[in-house]
Amino acid sequence: MAEAFPVKPKLRPTSSKLTPSPEAKYWRSFKIPKDIETTPSKSFTFPINSIAFSPLAPHDFVATHSASVSIFSGKTLEPKPTISSFSDTAAAVSFRCDGKLLAAGDLSGTVHVFDAKSRSHLRRLKGHAAAVRSVSYPRAADKLHLFSGGDDSVVKYWDVTTEKSVFNLLGHKDYVRCGDASPISDEMFVSGSYDHRVRVWDVRVSNASSVMELNHEKPVESVLYLPSGGLIATAGGNFVKIWDVIGGGKLLYSMESHIKTVTALCMGKVARGSGEEAEENRILSVALDGYMKVFDYAKLKITHSIRFPEPLLSVGFSPDCSTRVIGTSKGNLYIGRRKAKVESEEVVGGLQWKIVEDDPGRKVPRPSYFRYFQRGQNLKPSEGDYLIKRPKKVKMAEFDKLLKKFRHREALVAALNRRNPESVVAVMEELVARKKLKKCVSNLDTEELALLLAFLQKYSTMPRYAGLLTKLANKVVELRAEDIKSSDQLRSCIRNLKRDVEEEIRIQQSLLEIQGIISPMLRIAARS
Amino acid sequence: MFTGGKSFVSLPPAFSNDAKRLLVCTGNTVSIFSTSTGLQTCELEGHEAQVTSVIVVPATNPTSKVLCYCWTSSLDGKIRYWDFAAPELMKTIDIRFRIHSMVIPSLLHPRNDSTGKLPDLYAYISTEDVKQEGKPSSFGIQKCNLTKSRIVGGVTLAETRKPGHVTISPSGKYIGTCEKRKLRIWEIPAKDSEHVGYKKVRLHHTRSITTMAFHPTERVVAAGDVTGRILLWRGVGRETFSNSKSSNGRMNTDGEDRPGVRDTDDADSCTTWHWHSSEVNVLFFSSDGAYLYSGGKEGVLVVWQLDTGKKKFLPRIGSPLLYFINSPDPTLSSISCADNQIQLLRMPSMEILRSISGIKLPSSHMDMYEGFGSVVVFNPTAGLIAVPAENYRVQFYSLFDDREISQVQICERNHQPGDEITVKVNLVALSRDGSTMCTVETRLPEEGIGSLVTLKFWVCGSQKKQVSLSTVIYEPHRDAEISCIAFRPTGNMAVSSSHGGDFKVWVHRHELTPKDETVQRSGWKCHAVGSYKKKPMSTAAFSSDGSVLAVAADKVITLWDPDRNTLLAVIGDSLEPITNLTFIGKSEYLVSASASRGSKSSNPQLTVWSMSKLCVAWSYRLDIEAITCSMDDSTFAVLARSKPNGSADESSQHAEDMILLFNAEKAVPLSVWFVSKAQGGGLSFVSSDEDKVSGTKATDEVLAYINGAREYVLLNPHSEQDISRQRGFTNLDDTDTHGYASVYGELPEFSLKADQTAFPSMPSGKTWKGIFSGPSHALPPLPKLCSDFLESLLERRSGVVE
Repeated sequence: MAEAFPVKPKLRPTSSKLTPSPEAKYWRSFKIPKDIETTPSKSFTFPINSIAFSPLAPHDFVATHSASVSIFSGKTLEPKPTISSFSDTAAAVSFRCDGKLLAAGDLSGTVHVFDAKSRSHLRRLKGHAAAVRSVSYPRAADKLHLFSGGDDSVVKYWDVTTEKSVFNLLGHKDYVRCGDASPISDEMFVSGSYDHRVRVWDVRVSNASSVMELNHEKPVESVLYLPSGGLIATAGGNFVKIWDVIGGGKLLYSMESHIKTVTALCMGKVARGSGEEAEENRILSVALDGYMKVFDYAKLKITHSIRFPEPLLSVGFSPDCSTRVIGTSKGNLYIGRRKAKVESEEVVGGLQWKIVEDDPGRKVPRPSYFRYFQRGQNLKPSEGDYLIKRPKKVKMAEFDKLLKKFRHREALVAALNRRNPESVVAVMEELVARKKLKKCVSNLDTEELALLLAFLQKYSTMPRYAGLLTKLANKVVELRAEDIKSSDQLRSCIRNLKRDVEEEIRIQQSLLEIQGIISPMLRIAARS
Repeated sequence: MFTGGKSFVSLPPAFSNDAKRLLVCTGNTVSIFSTSTGLQTCELEGHEAQVTSVIVVPATNPTSKVLCYCWTSSLDGKIRYWDFAAPELMKTIDIRFRIHSMVIPSLLHPRNDSTGKLPDLYAYISTEDVKQEGKPSSFGIQKCNLTKSRIVGGVTLAETRKPGHVTISPSGKYIGTCEKRKLRIWEIPAKDSEHVGYKKVRLHHTRSITTMAFHPTERVVAAGDVTGRILLWRGVGRETFSNSKSSNGRMNTDGEDRPGVRDTDDADSCTTWHWHSSEVNVLFFSSDGAYLYSGGKEGVLVVWQLDTGKKKFLPRIGSPLLYFINSPDPTLSSISCADNQIQLLRMPSMEILRSISGIKLPSSHMDMYEGFGSVVVFNPTAGLIAVPAENYRVQFYSLFDDREISQVQICERNHQPGDEITVKVNLVALSRDGSTMCTVETRLPEEGIGSLVTLKFWVCGSQKKQVSLSTVIYEPHRDAEISCIAFRPTGNMAVSSSHGGDFKVWVHRHELTPKDETVQRSGWKCHAVGSYKKKPMSTAAFSSDGSVLAVAADKVITLWDPDRNTLLAVIGDSLEPITNLTFIGKSEYLVSASASRGSKSSNPQLTVWSMSKLCVAWSYRLDIEAITCSMDDSTFAVLARSKPNGSADESSQHAEDMILLFNAEKAVPLSVWFVSKAQGGGLSFVSSDEDKVSGTKATDEVLAYINGAREYVLLNPHSEQDISRQRGFTNLDDTDTHGYASVYGELPEFSLKADQTAFPSMPSGKTWKGIFSGPSHALPPLPKLCSDFLESLLERRSGVVE
């Protein structure tokens, strides 16, 4: 016995692109949340130089732009009031390891320390002779010191409480534009400069010279200590280099897939499932070419890349893997967020508990109650139970049901009302196979005919459907000329259709002209 | 010589008494199928012409249920009596008339054995007396004494102009036949003897009646006509058949209270039901007489409640219905469908249990469209043929086993049997190893709108069971129809040629993901397009080593390098377009056939080309239907049609189709066979298996010929020795569990020490589900059921266990 086949549209050619890898899916899942009307619509007009995430949950983040620092809530992504007590453009920002304090450098050469919560101005560290473009707190446990690097090519190690510089670390011969603290040691940090050098400093060795010097061969725009503390990634020019610090400053890999200058690096994580082992570290790099690339430094491979329409200046990734922020030179902030699932489960758990509590009070219903007849209807099967499944109900579209009843005109109208051109064309093809299309067209009343004409106007020049629809449009006009003449609505439909068809004819003619120009050239090229 | 591909649905089948076997008339033989497995178990061979009826001797008491006797009649004028369990021929009666139909009413009567002597057995047969040339043969219904093996002289119930099918009532009391617009019904006396009078009734209608049925208990007759109406006469023959006592009183009531009854027809009332849109083919009363089953061209079985006229349906059977038969087991009945399929139904619920399918018959519509030739395709290595069927399927049929292997749905569309065909699978091609199938389906346009040609590539899994779709290509040659598809014998390449003037070479490609080579996408892609002077390409062929591609462009043959797509040579200039092209094995010859299909004044030609010299080796003036070549040597066979009658110089009787076997080097045919119905037939060399066919060597090839009616024959091309075959019938084995086991499963085995007296349980004749399935009104009466039910529960002690 033959089963009932639904009407299906023609298959489309599958793209030769491969299905996205799980990693690409993961990075694509960072989407602009719909409930927040910030970014990129709410832009700052000035370049966003720096982004930093708080190390503590809920991982608030800050972004510097012009002479202010904006703090965003990590939970809702809503902007909190900005700190704008800078005399010049703010350039660098860093959270203390406990997330309570916030340090920012500005172009006047001052490093400001704020309370992250109250936004009150706590300290001003003055000492740099030129703009401070790099500020970083130690990442492990030290709460009293911070490093800064400035355009005066000096790196300073500050004691924050006394507002005094402990060391002046000299060695760079050009602007120091970036720096990062070691994730495992409070005394180690790294700085990068426009003299192509990256220097690793250890404050325990106070002879004011660097422990290690690496040559990036391009002005260094960003430098990043990788979580193990043994590797450093540096960005400058249009490439990113990975160095082994413990192994004596050996170059491990040079990633050269950006087209323009790489401006910022940050650590990203791929969370697969739950648990620590499921997380894998990645380097996120952004560049002026508008690409964000995800680099797997374990396999030394680019695993994903996304394009943004503007040059990118800064990037940040929340430690809980939920938020990814990118700042652009035009002041737009691209915030991507993944959907969290954990919270909803907790709610469910609470409800179940309630039900269980209620149960002992309830007696087994007696047959005199209505509830008696409903008992057990919501019972879930236990593991050992043998389940008898109800045969799955076959979902049928309305036009399928109507076609099954041989109500052809109604099926066509139902398909037209669904506004899915593929299914409309599929229904039309089925009607052709039943030799009923002409009859359907001649039976349509005025409004349905207007619907059909509007459909034809929209799609009859589309190459996928043109083969069927242009002929059909011709037929419709031929068959229903009288009705069209008598109705204003239909006449306007026909006018639109005519306009579109004339446009298409013009396009085709110009294409033919182009072909005429090209084909002799191709002929000649083939001969030579 | 081994034949196969018979029609299962030329006649109604018959169930055996235990409903475990189904007897089906298949040409000259009767094939017996097991109803539990759907496989053929044995065959009754003996008749020399088509078998026209098979009647199983019904069981009169429960003990005789196991007896398997049947009567068959045939067009060769013989009636035979068989024991079909053995199978063994018991008796033959020669009556020298062609028998079109036979009924034996006395089998259905309860025999009265008071005298201790069995009364004579009488059959009523619809005969044809073939007279000399020129005169129409006369038909009649005659009586035959089966016990004494002779026709009862002088008893001719009716003379008709056409062979009539005789219908018998389930009680055996009446027989009837429908003839044009009237029904004739005779009452068979309870004590039948050679000289009895027959009472008869005629019922008239305004349309031609196609089928009729008798009610099992009452005097109700149903008839279906060509317009789809069902007529139901109640109280038929109340005057004639009942022992008339007060005829005067009855005459007065005439004309007053007989709604729907025509003129002087002897019936109380006549009701008309109209649901079918065309001819009613099936009419059958259920055994309790409460329901009437009807079916027709729409392929829907309709169940009418007799008292109320309410309907129930079994829709989408997919093919016009021809016969409906119920079995002695009330839970089983069968429907014969026009697509050569017998469906077994579980009864009250009307589910299709299984189907017994023969080779798909060619559609009656297929001749209507030019280019809709649905030629069967051979898979020479596996001995399979692929047959395109009407319901958008391709059937794989095993030539050696003579049974269906599988079916593939080519186009996902519902098939309505009665409709005009607008979508059609019109080309099927199989690669040499059978791993790839290519199909072309065409949708005809409605007034120039919406025609579509779709090319599909399929991947056949192991054992030809799973076939999966690989690639779909819409409009491969714009809107032009594809004329031919050929696979390259070596490697994954196919070529499709179109009437639109170009051919395309398709190649199979695998795509591996660059990262981890696990995900594999494979598909067919266009490799090259070629055309020659915009001439329509009618056929294409690859040479056996795959290095040369020959494409016929109208009247010339173009030779191409398939890999680089360069034209190598152009040969020939025949008078008519070339229709067939084949490279002969591994030899250097190419054979082409040309004829313009359809036109009568053609110059058909069979030409053998030498590829080394690029010229004609020899040629014949023959109208070729099919060409095949053997795989290894240089022999090839052609199927040549006889000349059309218009231009025949001989008399039409001698114009026969023939199969000619040639060696390419010589123009003298090696052997010739005469065949019939070559139109739309096919021919192929098929490699034979040693296990299946004896009489040929293991390496030998067998020539398979299938005619237009889808009957095939396997010939041994090289010797006179016939191909005989031990047919691999399966034994009738019943794996159903009975009684206790069917409900509760197998009993755990007891250790003998614990229980010395093991009672072997006796399986009852019926399963539990069989007893109680269905609505209560359809069940047999409770007293009948009760004993069965208890019997199935009881454990019977078969003997004393020590």
